[in-house]
Amino acid sequence: MAEPRVTCEGLGKRYGELWALRGADLTFHKREVVMLIGPNASGKTTLIKCLLGLVHPTEGRIIVEDTVIDARAPQPDYRNSIGYMPQISQFPPSLTIAQLFAMMADVRGLAPDQLDDRLIAELGLDRQLDKRLSTLSGGTRQKVSAVLAFRTHPTILVMDEPTAGLDPVSAARVLKEAGALRDGGGTVLITSHLMEEVEALADRVAYLEDGALRFLLPMNDILERTGATRLAQGLPRLLEQMNEPRPTH
Amino acid sequence: MGKVFKYTLIDLARNRFVLGYALLMLALSQGLFLLEDDPMKAMLSLVQVVLALVPLIALVFTVVYLYDIQEFTQLLAVQPIARQSILGGQLLALATALLVAQGFGLGLPLLVHAPGPSALMLSLSGSALVLVFAALGALIALRQREKARGVGMALVLWLGFVLVYDAMLMWLMFTTSDYPVEPFVVPLAALNPIDLARILVMLEIDLAAMMGYSGAVYKSFFGSAAGMAMAGAILISWVLMPTWGAFRVFRKKDL
Repeated sequence: MAEPRVTCEGLGKRYGELWALRGADLTFHKREVVMLIGPNASGKTTLIKCLLGLVHPTEGRIIVEDTVIDARAPQPDYRNSIGYMPQISQFPPSLTIAQLFAMMADVRGLAPDQLDDRLIAELGLDRQLDKRLSTLSGGTRQKVSAVLAFRTHPTILVMDEPTAGLDPVSAARVLKEAGALRDGGGTVLITSHLMEEVEALADRVAYLEDGALRFLLPMNDILERTGATRLAQGLPRLLEQMNEPRPTH
Repeated sequence: MGKVFKYTLIDLARNRFVLGYALLMLALSQGLFLLEDDPMKAMLSLVQVVLALVPLIALVFTVVYLYDIQEFTQLLAVQPIARQSILGGQLLALATALLVAQGFGLGLPLLVHAPGPSALMLSLSGSALVLVFAALGALIALRQREKARGVGMALVLWLGFVLVYDAMLMWLMFTTSDYPVEPFVVPLAALNPIDLARILVMLEIDLAAMMGYSGAVYKSFFGSAAGMAMAGAILISWVLMPTWGAFRVFRKKDL
């Protein structure tokens, strides 16, 4: 039986009059990759930010492992288990890549032998460690961001549009690493508009629309129900099925 | 907090704006001392430069820097460290970088050309203004989501302190000139940190005598030890209150 790692109960976030997320009940398990999809402004980023403690929920609660996360006084300790690869990677411009890596390890109090630095070489960053962050291209900054997300051995990995700006080889490498993390018992949450890149990895798909969770289903279920071979084909069919009025007796 | 401070300071140490600020202050200070034969006259000109330029630079740079590292601050906020430590480290590093730049650009020429209590007071007042306006800049950057609006607010605030507040006080004194209100109106100047810094420097240079009745009021108000302590307390409040506000906003802020 799947063991829960992150549980959201009635999670909601309101900005002024607008509910960016409302009544989200969902559980993310150990050893799974969940793909969060939905149109723009559907609540994906808000959900992610609530999990990360960046946004304080207006209602509901989040439980990570056995810890209830108090939005007003978030216990930073639970974040030891989190890796985050944001959509936009901006760093202090005058630091070098090596200094940034040192800083982030320092902030977590981790020694070099506690870090997984394989990706540094595999993404070709080992030759650029002395470069200032302000001189890096968007793609290279994404690679730096990927290294930061993976190197602390997270058990919960949150990736917001991880392949955006990455070359195909690096994108594949990063997704392979996410798969390996899942296989090692981790929980991976990915948002991406490029469904075809991520769907092979996803165990379940959560679809959000207008701040509400429409469904959270296993990938196989979606494909079976719709008779599609790809998520991009199956998703519109599934939404159509869900919108059809139910027969009355 | 120490770790965030350390690396933010490393970043700021190579920041072109900070280096430019140090060089600009050095050029202005050195230039004024070289142009004027009398170091005291040069220092008087320098007072005007410091009182106008230092608040502007501290305010705008803090606002712009905090906006520029917003995404990185998000990344830090996902790490197992408290938000107070993140902001504390960043603000401390910003203040340190600006103070070191100012020490190099202003303090050094003062030490070489006009060492003494007046130079010390100018340096201290300038440093206090850096801290006050960096704190105000932090509060603006954290309260206002848009960078352009934040910078706009910073400029309006600077104009308010440098120009509008004094203009209003002068108007008040002018319209009430038939009444002996000066002892009540003049101390109001001390509520503006720039004016307060000006008063402290002027008293130290002993220019109060040239300022007529207002100068006498300043002297009687701030000339004593108690008055100086009060001036110091007001300046410290100007640092602490916006800093406290910034921490409060940051703790609750959705990043």
